[in-house]
Amino acid sequence: MRIGLLHSLIRKEEKLLIEEFNKHSHVDLVMLDDRKLIFDFHSKPKVDLVLERCINHSRAMHGLRLFENQGIPCVNTSDVARICGDKILTAVALADHDVPQPDLRIAFTEESALIAIEELGYPVVLKPAVGSWGRLLSKVNDRDAAESILEHKAILGSYHHSIFFIQKYVEKKGRDIRSFVVGDECVAAIYRASEHWITNTARGGTATGCAVSDELHDISLRAAGAVGGGIVAVDLFETTDGLVVNEVNYTMEFRNSITTTGVNIPQRMVDYLLKIQV
Amino acid sequence: MAMCPICDGEVSLGSDTVVGELIRCPDCGSELEVTGIDPAVLAEAPEAEEDWGE
Repeated sequence: MRIGLLHSLIRKEEKLLIEEFNKHSHVDLVMLDDRKLIFDFHSKPKVDLVLERCINHSRAMHGLRLFENQGIPCVNTSDVARICGDKILTAVALADHDVPQPDLRIAFTEESALIAIEELGYPVVLKPAVGSWGRLLSKVNDRDAAESILEHKAILGSYHHSIFFIQKYVEKKGRDIRSFVVGDECVAAIYRASEHWITNTARGGTATGCAVSDELHDISLRAAGAVGGGIVAVDLFETTDGLVVNEVNYTMEFRNSITTTGVNIPQRMVDYLLKIQV
Repeated sequence: MAMCPICDGEVSLGSDTVVGELIRCPDCGSELEVTGIDPAVLAEAPEAEEDWGE
């Protein structure tokens, strides 16, 4: 069996996945560096399946679609990448499937965005539709800040920063939850804690183990299903009304979550890939 | 063994090192990308781009 690993830089996660693949003697791992690939709609890479581990969203989404065009099954699919890579499309998918999420608004001009923010009530969080690792998030506490940030985004940002994704700020008491979904199972979860309101571990948040309750398992699978399934990490907030889904990540990072949870996440990912290939 | 392109310090690579792997120079702390194994070659890791992430 030939499995293509679509990648760019080899981070800790990819290294761990390579180690797991190498434990299977019948697997021939083919490294597909997105910086070297050329697609021509005719040449079909000799792989039975592609696992996407790119660091650039744009390359991942388009690369996956191009491999799919050649009839190669991909994990995750390009549709999952397209939806998860855009917070607006993710919100639509979650809404379509009645998965609870924080109250939010989307607006296309500074004026309508300001009205939307005041409708939601302060504080709100402004997020770029495409972006990760908690970058360029703005917690907006009052109208003065809202006017200033909207103007800066509209004038200084590229065009997609003028598509305003506005989420009601959820008071999460210093932590949120990340769950890891592999196929039809939520295999593990962590709390991400920080004194800062941004709790991403890429921004210094610390990980501790979180038991996978029935509620967490259920909402994680529903969120994964809403975006198309596969291997995803679901970010959730705890609220007085239960768990709500903040984001779904399709090229999940797990380096801080293996020891923390006691679950060999890359092993579970590889087992899943080999199982769906049988 | 390879040379850090930033500080010229010596960086040892593990036997399981692969091309494209990110490592950190033990001397200057720079993030480096392994661009060659035999011979071992290191380059400064690329800067994060707007659509990098999960």
